Amino acid sequence: MEALIRPEFGLMFWTITCFVLLVLVLSKTAWKPLMQAVEERERAIKHDLHSAETARAGAEKLKAELDAQMAAMKTEIQRRMDEARLSAEKETDLLIEEARRAAGVIVDSAKKEIETQKAEAARELKGKVAELAVLAAERILVHQLDHRANTDLAGRYLAELEKERPELKLGAD
Amino acid sequence: MDLKLILEHHIVDKVWAWVTFGPLRLPLSKHLLMMGIASFILLVGFPLLIRSRSRALAPFRAMLEMTVLFLRDEIVLPNLGHKGAAYTGYFATLFFFILLMNLIGLVPYGASATGNLAVTAGLAFTSFILITFAGIKEQGLVGYFGHLVPKGVPLWLYPLMFPIEVLGMFIKAFALAIRLFANMIAGHIVILVFLCFIFIFGSFGVAVGLGVAPISVGLVLFTLLLELLVAFLQAYVFVTLTAIFTGAAMHPH
Repeated sequence: MEALIRPEFGLMFWTITCFVLLVLVLSKTAWKPLMQAVEERERAIKHDLHSAETARAGAEKLKAELDAQMAAMKTEIQRRMDEARLSAEKETDLLIEEARRAAGVIVDSAKKEIETQKAEAARELKGKVAELAVLAAERILVHQLDHRANTDLAGRYLAELEKERPELKLGAD
Repeated sequence: MDLKLILEHHIVDKVWAWVTFGPLRLPLSKHLLMMGIASFILLVGFPLLIRSRSRALAPFRAMLEMTVLFLRDEIVLPNLGHKGAAYTGYFATLFFFILLMNLIGLVPYGASATGNLAVTAGLAFTSFILITFAGIKEQGLVGYFGHLVPKGVPLWLYPLMFPIEVLGMFIKAFALAIRLFANMIAGHIVILVFLCFIFIFGSFGVAVGLGVAPISVGLVLFTLLLELLVAFLQAYVFVTLTAIFTGAAMHPH
């Protein structure tokens, strides 16, 4: 059992040789590529992170620009709309005014026309009435023509008329 | 069979042959074979695994990578400072070498090479060399030995403190060797003892032995799981302590 706690020098030599060789070989064949891969990945991650950061900053800048553009456009649209509304109102007023004026002219001319038409109609009516009256009177007269009686009647009427309106007296009697 | 023989069979190294290189008389033994298997896995398996682009191996690659990164970021760099990154390879090799030897001891027909004092002493010796080398490289030969005694110690205590600190350098390495050795051997002994319970009780009667067997096997399974934990834990502890000692040698405060 004392072999358990009596170190065998030969095995110790083997161990040291073996381990030192392992350290030397593995440093080249295992740990170096491993660390390289790890560093490569770390660098890639850092690079990705960086590029993502840059992209985000760019996107934010773009967004800010677009926002500013949008706001400018909004105010522009508002301005244009106000302008349009104002001009439309002006236009409307103008049109209404125009229409009113035109309507006034039409009404005036219509009134005048009506007046003349009325006068014309009245004149025509008067003429027709006079003619009818004359024709009727003529018929009556033709029907009732009695020379003597009429002469007397005419004489009496004339005397009456002369008495009423002395300025129409035909000569002295 | 005698318990002592069983224990020796399972725990003590078995030398098959000796080779002689000049003054060196080197054994070819079971533990050397186990160390060889661990080295083979490290030398062939790890580079292949790291270089493979296979999807199926990706989880293992990730595990390996995570472990190495953990060693670098949680053990080496905090203890050794930013200059310590260069030592990552050493500590990673140390960790996986110890871990593999520990784990091979849990495999049937395997043996724990780290359960051999010669192996742990060899590892501790390399750690001792590393600690001293790193300290001297960082502070210079004079600076290193000048800073062995901590600051704030009265001058008249130096003659006492200096030998103690020099002794401490060796004791640290010695403790590393003993710790790993004892931890790895203890589990094996406990498992053997639990299994022997069956035969001890079996000698009272076959029924008693059969009655004890399930309890024993249950306890053995528990101890095996514990050993699995210890295999990782002791590899971690060995590496961490080496890193702490190296850091202390590099940056005396």
